[in-house]
Amino acid sequence: MPDTEEKKLVTMKIDGQEITVPEGMNVIDAAEQIGIYIPRFCYHPALSVAGNCRMCLVETNQARKPVPACREGAREGLEVTTNSDRIKEARKDVLEFILLDHPVDCPICDKAGECMLQEQYSKFSLRPSSLSMPKVHKPKVKVMGPTVLYDAERCINCTRCVRFMAEIAKDPVLTQVHRGDHAYIDLAPDKVLNSPYSMNVVDLCPVGALTSRDFRFKARVWFLESTDTVCSECSRGCNIRVDTYKGEIKRIVPRENPDVNGMFMCDHGRLAYHEYENDRLFTVAGTRTGDMNYTQAVNRISLQLLQMIKSGMPPVVILSPFMTNEDAWVAIFSLKVLANVNVFAIGGNAQGEGDDILIREDKNPNTRGLMTILKHFGIQPVSVKEAIEQADNGMIVFGTRHAWIDEIAKKIGTLDFGVILSAKATPATTKAAFALPVPSPYETTGTWTNEFGITQRVQAVLQPQQEARPIWQIVQDMHRGFARMQTFTRVEEITDILMDKGLIALDDLTNTGDDITVEAGK
Amino acid sequence: MVKVKVIERPVPTVSTEIYLKEVLKGMGVSAKHFFQGITTQKNLVTTQYPEEKRPYPKRFRGHHRLMKREDGSARCVACYMCATACPSHCITIEAGEREEPYIQKYPRKFEIDYLKCVFCGFCVDACPQDAIRMDSDKHRIPAYTRQDEMAGNIDLLKLGGLSQARQGGKWS
Ligand code: SF4
Ligand code: SF4
Ligand code: SF4
Ligand code: SF4
Ligand code: FES
Repeated sequence: MPDTEEKKLVTMKIDGQEITVPEGMNVIDAAEQIGIYIPRFCYHPALSVAGNCRMCLVETNQARKPVPACREGAREGLEVTTNSDRIKEARKDVLEFILLDHPVDCPICDKAGECMLQEQYSKFSLRPSSLSMPKVHKPKVKVMGPTVLYDAERCINCTRCVRFMAEIAKDPVLTQVHRGDHAYIDLAPDKVLNSPYSMNVVDLCPVGALTSRDFRFKARVWFLESTDTVCSECSRGCNIRVDTYKGEIKRIVPRENPDVNGMFMCDHGRLAYHEYENDRLFTVAGTRTGDMNYTQAVNRISLQLLQMIKSGMPPVVILSPFMTNEDAWVAIFSLKVLANVNVFAIGGNAQGEGDDILIREDKNPNTRGLMTILKHFGIQPVSVKEAIEQADNGMIVFGTRHAWIDEIAKKIGTLDFGVILSAKATPATTKAAFALPVPSPYETTGTWTNEFGITQRVQAVLQPQQEARPIWQIVQDMHRGFARMQTFTRVEEITDILMDKGLIALDDLTNTGDDITVEAGK
Repeated sequence: MVKVKVIERPVPTVSTEIYLKEVLKGMGVSAKHFFQGITTQKNLVTTQYPEEKRPYPKRFRGHHRLMKREDGSARCVACYMCATACPSHCITIEAGEREEPYIQKYPRKFEIDYLKCVFCGFCVDACPQDAIRMDSDKHRIPAYTRQDEMAGNIDLLKLGGLSQARQGGKWS
C-alpha cells in the first residue's frame, strides 16, 4: 500500500457524512472508514486499481455521470452519493450485465456461500434476467496448474487473478484472451499456474471461476467451522484460518495481518495439513512399553530418568522448533534445572528456499522463540550430530519433523532410555524404547515467535486425540518425582510466566483477524 | 366507559344436574350409527384397512425418491441444499466428481436416516435440481434395526423416475 503519512488531509462528504482522509485515497476505502460498503468486484486493496467491473459506481458533485469509486481519489470538497436511486439502478444494470452469460452453477460451485456475485446480487439487485437467447459457452473445469481449476463461464473478467500473479506473485502467467462476451482468462503460452502462491487467486477470485483442487467438493462452505491460528511451515508465521468439517481439516486460508503476512500465504502452508492426516501416533508405542497406557509409560520414564540423574548420567535432549514457547519453557526448565541435562540440540526441518515475498528459509515456526528461551537458561545448543554422538546414556527427542530423523532413529534403537515425543508414527517411534503421542501443530495451543520476533498465539483447531497430550503436560508428568517441580494446569499460566519474564511480548500483536475470503459480507 | 356484556348463565335445574337426558341423547347417536353399520351400511366413516386401501392424496409426502437423468444416474449434484434445509439433520451426503463439465458433481453417498426424518418436505422444496421428491406414494416401513432405517442412494434411486426439468434453466 502506498505510504499515506506525508499526504495532506482533505475533507470530503460521503452520503452527507463529512470525513477527513489523506488526499487521493480511493472512495471505496474512505467510505469503508465510516461504515459504508460500496459494492465491488475488481477492486482489491492489495492490488492495483483496474476499474473494469463498474459495480462500484457512485455519483459525485464533480461529474455528470456516475464514476467508479475505486478510481475516484479523495479531494477537497468532493461530495459522493452512494445510495441514490440512479446508483441503485446502475448497480442492478451492472449485475444484470455481469450475470448475462453466467451459468449460475451455484449447486456445483465451491464458491457458493462466500461468492461476491451471489451476495451482491441478493443485496443490491434481485432483478430477474431478461436474456432471450442461448448463453455463450466457454471452457469449464480447465486445469490451470497443480492446485487450481478454472471455469471460464463463471469468470466475470475482473482480472484480480491476472494482477495478483503479475504484481504480487511476480509470475505473470495469467492473461485475458478474446473479446466481449467471449473474453476469459487463460495461461500464457507454455505456462502453468504453479507459482508457490498460486492458490491465493482462489481467495481473490470474487466468484467461483478459480477454485482449489484440494478443496474441490470437500464441503459446502457454510458448514465449515473456523479457528484462527498460525501457519507452522516456515518462520514467517502467516496468520491463518483453518476450516474444519465434521472434525477434519478441509482447507486453510490466510488472515490479514499487515505486520506478518499482509493478506496472503503460500500454497505449501495451505496444504501442510495433509502431513498429519495419515500415520498418526495416537497411543503409547515403543519397544519397552508393552501394553502400558500413558500414565504407566510416563511413570516408568520418570523413574528411569530419576535414576540416571542420581548416577550422574543425564540423557541428551533434542528439541524441536515446532514446540511452542510454553512447551519449550517447561521442557528446558525441567530438564536443565531439575534434571541437570547439559546437552541440548535444536532439531527440526533443514533450511530450504526462501523468497522476498513471504516464504522464509527457516522451515520451522519457532526457532527464534526456542533460542530465546535457551539463552535465558544460559544454554548453548550443540548440533544434532554432536547430540547423537553423545547420546550413549539416553536421549529424549521432541517433535516429529527432523532433518536428522534417520540418524536419530538409528541411534534411538540402540538405547535403553530412548524417548521420543511424536505426532506421527515413524521408524524412530517404533525403534525407540518409549514413544509418546503429542498433538500436531493444528492441535496445539500456545505461542510461537517468528523470525522477526513477533510472538503469536497458536490455537488448537482440533482437540488432541486418544493418548496424545501437549508436550508441556508430558514433560511435567515425567518430572512428577522431582523436587521443585512447578505444575501447571492451563497453557495460559505458562504464557503469563513467559510474559512476566519478558521472553515474549504478546501485546505487540496487531492481528486484525480479518480474512480476505469473506469481504463481500462486510 | 367500559362496555360490559352481560351473559346470562343458565340456571341449573334438576334435570340438567343429573345429566341423564344428555347421556341418553348421546347413546342415541351411537346406537343410530351401530344399527346403520350392521344394516344399511350407509354413511360409513371407517375404511376396512388392510382389505381396503384409501388412495393417497396428491400431495402426500411419503418415502423419498431420487430422480434420474436420461442415463439412469441420479440427477442430484450433491449441493447439500436439502441437507442444509433439513430441520432434523438426517441427510448425509458425500460428494464425488463426474467427468461431464456440465454435471461435475454427484452424491457418492446419499443417506436419509428415517429415525430422524419428520417428513416435512423441506428437502424437496430446497432442491434446485428436481432431484429429490416425496411423491412415491409409499410409507416408510418401520424396521427392526437402526441400520435398516437408513435409506441409501440405491433404495432411493429405485423409487425414482425420469425428471424433465432442465438444469440451468431455459437458456443455459
Ligand atoms: S460464481 Fe457465484 S454465482 Fe456463479 S455459480 Fe459460483 S456461486 Fe453461483
Ligand atoms: S478468474 Fe476470477 S479473479 Fe480472475 S478475472 Fe475471472 S473472476 Fe476475476
Ligand atoms: S422430509 Fe424434512 S426431515 Fe425428512 S429429510 Fe426432508 S427435510 Fe429432512
Ligand atoms: S438439494 Fe437436490 S441436488 Fe442438492 S443434494 Fe439435495 S437432492 Fe441433491
Ligand atoms: S470495483 Fe470499481 S470498477 Fe470494479
